[in-house]
Amino acid sequence: MIDIAPLRLALIYLLMLLPLSILLWYGVGMVAQVLLALLRMTCQLLLVGIYLELIFDLDLLWLNLLWITVMIGVADVSVVRGCGFRLSRFCLPLFLAMLLGVAIPLVFFIGCVLHVPNVLEARFAIPIAGMILGNCLRANIVGIGRFYGDIKDGERRYLMTLAQGATWTEAIRPFVRDAIAAALAPTTAMMATMGLVSLPGMMTGAMMGGAEPLPAIKYQIAIMVSIFASTGMTVFLAIQMTARQSFNGYGVLDLGIFVDKKK
Amino acid sequence: MLLADSLTGRHADATGTDVVIEVRNLSLQFGRQPLFSRMTFSVQKGQKVLIRGASGSGKSTLLSCLLGFVAPRAGQIQVQGERLTPRSVWSIRRQLGYLAQEPDLGRGTVAEALEAPFRFSANQEGGVDGGRIASLFERFLLDTDLLTQDVHHLSAGQKQRVALIGAILLNRSIYLLDEPTSALDEPSRQAVVDFFRESDATLLWISHDPRHLCQPDQVVTVTPGEDHA
Repeated sequence: MIDIAPLRLALIYLLMLLPLSILLWYGVGMVAQVLLALLRMTCQLLLVGIYLELIFDLDLLWLNLLWITVMIGVADVSVVRGCGFRLSRFCLPLFLAMLLGVAIPLVFFIGCVLHVPNVLEARFAIPIAGMILGNCLRANIVGIGRFYGDIKDGERRYLMTLAQGATWTEAIRPFVRDAIAAALAPTTAMMATMGLVSLPGMMTGAMMGGAEPLPAIKYQIAIMVSIFASTGMTVFLAIQMTARQSFNGYGVLDLGIFVDKKK
Repeated sequence: MLLADSLTGRHADATGTDVVIEVRNLSLQFGRQPLFSRMTFSVQKGQKVLIRGASGSGKSTLLSCLLGFVAPRAGQIQVQGERLTPRSVWSIRRQLGYLAQEPDLGRGTVAEALEAPFRFSANQEGGVDGGRIASLFERFLLDTDLLTQDVHHLSAGQKQRVALIGAILLNRSIYLLDEPTSALDEPSRQAVVDFFRESDATLLWISHDPRHLCQPDQVVTVTPGEDHA
């Protein structure tokens, strides 16, 4: 792979001048936010790069496991905050849902498809977990946010269903269905147009690193299926694991799960 | 005083009449604002009860309380002799027909909205009776052409009557109706009043206007902030 020299890498930031000029011209008022995000992204990735080099060199089982756990933890907090839920109510059940939803496809992919004896080998487990987790994070924000938001906004319809004799499971079913559909829609659309509209990062990265296109595509197919499976599982598990404690014994949603109850 | 009948699960008062709803020392609050305190009343089988009171007095919240949607600050509710608890609420709801003040019929056509509750395990025995739907539409002055219309295209009055028909189709023995005629014109209002006057069902009917339920057997007045003891 061609290594990019630091000064040449700096050139890429020139591309930012155009969108930043547009933001300034129209007074969009998010220039500082964009610059901060750019700075954060650069620093975070450089630090992670240095750290990953160390982790890849050491390749210790406990360290790899710890790193993946930290990744899931950060994703967990992002989802809870992104949806406006109370951290104390959702942190643990969501963490468990994401842990299970990521671990099952990850172990299956590395252990059964790639046939790597150590499923937690750093150079496989960490990047694949990262790709799966990134998609799960987006899907969870959409799915869980949609589930509780719809019940809160559609309270009259939900309560009417309970009044008509529905069990709690029957009453939440349409909301679960809508949430899962909304969460999976972007991944489904991405899969359907892959190769035609977009060439995914993993595949292009592997090819730029010197891999032949066909092996790179095989990896991409496997990772896309893993992402889809993980997304579906995580959203379903997240709803199931958080729902029991988010409704009272009478089947009514506890608005205490939201940071801002009126929102 | 209530006398429990262990065989039927019903209660009878000292005169031997069936008591189907018993509200005892019920206190409700909305947020931190107390609505009413220590309200006590009982409803006998087949009674038509008018619940009245000023706007914001807690009439709708009282019905929500009977359905377990709002937790009372204190007090007890019994329906058909069964105390309302998180365990019993599910079977109690299956004895109640509820019409909300602003009913939400969900999505799809009117026919789909009427069929939807019959997919719940509790209602599968009954099934949808097309003939009964047609006769109820006629009774409540609705055109059966509405059945194929999207629920979002209905007027407030049509929506109210369709929701009412939905509740009636479930064949409950007790109806909780929150201003069921508020959006209706005079002929439709009269049709609804006549229907329930002829019915054997027990009725709790919220209305600002006592004319809306001719000759109620009992009137429960909800006064905000009042201690009803």
